[in-house]
Amino acid sequence: MMGWIVLAVLLLAVVLLVSAYNRLVELRNRYKNAYSQIDVQLKRRYDLVPNLVETAKGYLKHERQTLEAVILARNQASLAAQRAAATPGEATAMRDLAGAEAALGGALGRMFALAEAYPDLKSNTTMNQLSEELSSTENKVAFARQAYNDAVMSYNTGREIFPVSIIAGATGFVEARLFEIERTVEREPVKVSFA
Amino acid sequence: MDFFEAQERAKRRTGWLVVLFSLAVCGTVMAVYAVAMGALHLLGLRLLTNLPTQFWDPNLFWRIAANTLILIVGVSIYKTRAVSASADAIALGLGGRLLDPNTVDPHERRLLDVVEEMSIASGLPVPAVHLLPQEPGINAFAVGLDASRSAIAVTDGCLRLLSRDELQGVVAHEFSHLLNGDARMNVRLLGLVHGILVIGLIGSAILRSFGRSSDGSRRKGNVGGLSAVIFVGVSLYVIGSIGVFFARLIKAAVSRQRELLADAAGVQFTRNPAGLAGALKKIGRLSRGSRLLAPRAEEASHFYFSEGMARFTALMSTHPPLPERIRLLDPQFAGELPEGQLEAVALEDEIPGVAAAVPVAQRLSLRPTVAVASIGALGDQHIAYAQSLLAQIPQRLRDSIREPWVARAVVLALLLDGKPEIRTAQLKALLAIGDAKLAEEVSRVAGALRTCPVEARLPVVDLALPALRRLSRAQCGDLRAAVGRLIRADSRIGLFEYTLQRVLLRHLAAHFGPRRPPGGPQVEVREASSLLLSMLAYAGATDPGEVARAFEAARAELSPGRFQLTLLPRSDCDLHALDRALDRLVETAPRLRGEILGACVAAVATDGKVTIAEGEMLRAISDSLGCPMPPLLPGEHVQAMARPATRTG
Repeated sequence: MMGWIVLAVLLLAVVLLVSAYNRLVELRNRYKNAYSQIDVQLKRRYDLVPNLVETAKGYLKHERQTLEAVILARNQASLAAQRAAATPGEATAMRDLAGAEAALGGALGRMFALAEAYPDLKSNTTMNQLSEELSSTENKVAFARQAYNDAVMSYNTGREIFPVSIIAGATGFVEARLFEIERTVEREPVKVSFA
Repeated sequence: MDFFEAQERAKRRTGWLVVLFSLAVCGTVMAVYAVAMGALHLLGLRLLTNLPTQFWDPNLFWRIAANTLILIVGVSIYKTRAVSASADAIALGLGGRLLDPNTVDPHERRLLDVVEEMSIASGLPVPAVHLLPQEPGINAFAVGLDASRSAIAVTDGCLRLLSRDELQGVVAHEFSHLLNGDARMNVRLLGLVHGILVIGLIGSAILRSFGRSSDGSRRKGNVGGLSAVIFVGVSLYVIGSIGVFFARLIKAAVSRQRELLADAAGVQFTRNPAGLAGALKKIGRLSRGSRLLAPRAEEASHFYFSEGMARFTALMSTHPPLPERIRLLDPQFAGELPEGQLEAVALEDEIPGVAAAVPVAQRLSLRPTVAVASIGALGDQHIAYAQSLLAQIPQRLRDSIREPWVARAVVLALLLDGKPEIRTAQLKALLAIGDAKLAEEVSRVAGALRTCPVEARLPVVDLALPALRRLSRAQCGDLRAAVGRLIRADSRIGLFEYTLQRVLLRHLAAHFGPRRPPGGPQVEVREASSLLLSMLAYAGATDPGEVARAFEAARAELSPGRFQLTLLPRSDCDLHALDRALDRLVETAPRLRGEILGACVAAVATDGKVTIAEGEMLRAISDSLGCPMPPLLPGEHVQAMARPATRTG
């Protein structure tokens, strides 16, 4: 009799472990899916920036350095985003992306601050359209980031709860990292609306 | 066969399935017992005090049976729960990816458009759309746990090799699975079969672990133990395979019949047999056909549009033979399909749409039987109407509605009142949440929505749902709170506000959380129906005589003697009670729900006029009762039957 009870308990344990594992897989899929939403918006943002710079070039002739800094920051952010998309939630990739994004935000902020001094540029329709598009994309990034962070948080909590925590480390479920952009002083006033 | 009959049949078939499955389990249990006995004898184990001396030992049998049953049933329940957790799980398991809503790929956009049209035409919320990018064959499948949680997946070949009409035929076929409850039953079947499969999996795991540790074991020289382990492993594997064989037979027998029904329904929806037949012919011409490459493809073989794997015998096929399916759609078909390479279709040459615009002069009278019969049985006029509705939504809005950020704003913008002062109060309420960007976005979207026709309001919500399902749980909670604030900002709840809230919260709740237990005491079906019909009667008329007439007409729609309905006083009719009533009625048998819906239509239509708001309300009720109702066509709004409808059948 004992043997059968032990067997039943073992089976139960196996079923529990398997279900815990699957739960983790589901939570991981969820945050990875959430990341792909950010990725879509980031790509669109990176596509917009060169157009924006191209339009601004004609007016900001003496501000080449600022414009080049924007393009440089954009290229770096784009690379960081590609790496992050390959391994969403991985600590270094997410930290690099957050850093690159903050740098891009800062460079854009400086460019828009300069643009304030050029009334012609401020009244340019293409520029207005592009910057409006950019600000709406920023909103979407922020919203998608929130969804991603929520998903990461429930994944991280999920892998620390007791029966799961036994197998989480052993089966390669490492802690995922939040995507938080450091709010630097220059990042705050990204004034993208001209109207 | 109408929608409700199909639902009842689906229920009965599920019962049959359980019986057949139990038979397969019994056979498996016997086989496991035989193996266990064999293993015990081979081992000569003395661990157990009462080693059986005869083959038949009831005591031992029951223990083995109990353990095996616990294993199979446990795994079945577990797997069913795992696949029921999200409709996307199956598509993702086959290497699918959620289609990017902002895709610029014209083929992917075309697919999204076709699915959205079909959703609006059928009254089902837009499902999640997946692409299996690594699959060059032509195939598709639908997974549906309920109306709010369903997904459609197509292979890359299906996306690129089919013309729009053919793609539409395939999507219509899949929607028919969703509408008839086949998709839900498929999920259950997958879970059940997995329970038997697990025995085979354990067997192969034993063999594999033995293979890895064979060196160490050999050194110990425990030949008896070793051979017993091999014996158990091989036997479990064989039993598992036998079990799976039976399970597949069941799967195939249940599946084939339904595929033919779905083909027929697909043609009925699009009124275009050439589309579906063309898709099937292309499968026949493609050397790869409809076969899938994913290693786990067999698991979901009963979901597919066409046979997903190579079969040895017709008995094991989950689908009827291709030529037979084509011949049913196209009697001229000679049965010859030249094999060869197919070219991806060039999209520029195609004219979007199936049918011409809806003839506006159409004057359909809204008869309860007609409206109820249209549930689950849409026609090409519904699709054409859906296309014309979608065409009136500004393209920019329609594209961006597939993004969570905009979808959330769209839903809130729909709740903004026409009166400027209420509108301002509502926007202030949004600002009070502390999200200035949200308020800004809502008022921006509200501007874009103003150009949409009024009857496109509910379809817009349907379009927004896939994006809303991608919110995080916390964001979804915030959205619910914001909806509540907007509705309360003008201190009274209008018909449309209630409708929208009902549709939205129902679908979000199904996706995000376990269904909340219905608040308050359990209501009886009789009370619930009385309340529902009374409220509809009051909503359509002000004069007491007309109210009574509307209620009478509604009561006449129910089969006599089922239960006694009474017109409740107006003071008893509040929206919370209506919520409770609808939650109760959705649990009743499909046929009764059909009758109740007929009664609802009668209550609304007796005054000879169905306003758009009333039409929306009807669709929300129908949706709440788990019956997706196609949109009322323009003629149906304009002129409904003046006198109480007589039952025609």
